[in-house]
Amino acid sequence: MMTTISAFLASKGIYLLTLILLSLGVAGIIVCNNYMKKLICMNIMQVAVIFFFLCFGQKDGGTIPVAVDGLVKAADYINPLPHGLMLTAIVVSLGTTGVGLSLLFRIMEKYGTIEEDDLIKREKKF
Amino acid sequence: MLIVVITVPFIAFDVLPVIGDPESAPNTHVSDYYIEHAIDECNSPNMVTAVIVDYRAFDTMFETTVMFLAGIAVVLILANRPRKRIPSAGSYKRSMTVAGRAIYNTVNKDVMISAIEPVILVYAIYVLFHGEVSLGGGFQAGALIGMTYLLDTMAVRREKPLFRLNKFQSGAIAGLGPFIYAVTGIVSIIGGGLYLEYNKLPLDIHQAELHSIGITAVEVGVTIGVAGTIITILNALIERISFDDDND
Repeated sequence: MMTTISAFLASKGIYLLTLILLSLGVAGIIVCNNYMKKLICMNIMQVAVIFFFLCFGQKDGGTIPVAVDGLVKAADYINPLPHGLMLTAIVVSLGTTGVGLSLLFRIMEKYGTIEEDDLIKREKKF
Repeated sequence: MLIVVITVPFIAFDVLPVIGDPESAPNTHVSDYYIEHAIDECNSPNMVTAVIVDYRAFDTMFETTVMFLAGIAVVLILANRPRKRIPSAGSYKRSMTVAGRAIYNTVNKDVMISAIEPVILVYAIYVLFHGEVSLGGGFQAGALIGMTYLLDTMAVRREKPLFRLNKFQSGAIAGLGPFIYAVTGIVSIIGGGLYLEYNKLPLDIHQAELHSIGITAVEVGVTIGVAGTIITILNALIERISFDDDND
């Protein structure tokens, strides 16, 4: 039983960790009252997805995807494709975070708060 | 209960590949081609750079455009005239004025950051122009340059800033990046090839050199785009912020 569990964790345990990170992000978005915290939780969720993709690129016995003299086989290098995809995803997530922050600025200037409860109260006043 | 809910999909549906398996589905089909042909076809030992700016150059061009659009969107969202004072920030600001000053005005921070900044910029240029040979690339270099500007703006107190851009100037710089990228593709059309087909650039040198020139030109475009976008977002946000140690 224990060997089964440890073999499972060695082969697929990292998916559990990314799943926990993803659920933390989703739970934070649902539970938190503050919009700033919601934005932070959205970033945590993005990081979880990025980790999930990077897990696919791993190969036993492979080196980083920069060509070395003498190594020509595909099995000698880890997969460059998830790294390329996630590199652009990280940079674009920076842009979306900037847009989210600017929306928070507008909400703060109009209502004076970014707490969701206060916001709903003040919305009824206007 | 929660552990069961989490664990059951992994045991029951055995769809996800084993970590580190060279024969798993994500590691076999197209990635083998990229690994084995990157040097011959692109003259780029760094396979990640070969994938993102040579095989999938069209994709990366629009990623850069998305960054530029994000910067423009931040400027447009914050384009209205700011109110004088945020209502709830006043009391906090008054109570923090004395406490903040002694900490923020230490000489260590200003001197150290001024000393580190040129090193970061040199490293960014190295990462940019060495990106196709070793680890690095345009996105990382752009992030480094943008973060240097951010560090200088937010952490160092200068009487006269050495180098400041307003949000319209930096927005124009952010637009220059995708422009350089697109012009590289158009030049390769003039040379008789397809869009972004680097070995048809109209220069009389070897094909591998043409690939290096094309990749470097595109990386310069990506760097300028990303750095300009970060500076644009920073400039658009920072003119609405009132810090605790402002003197106004």
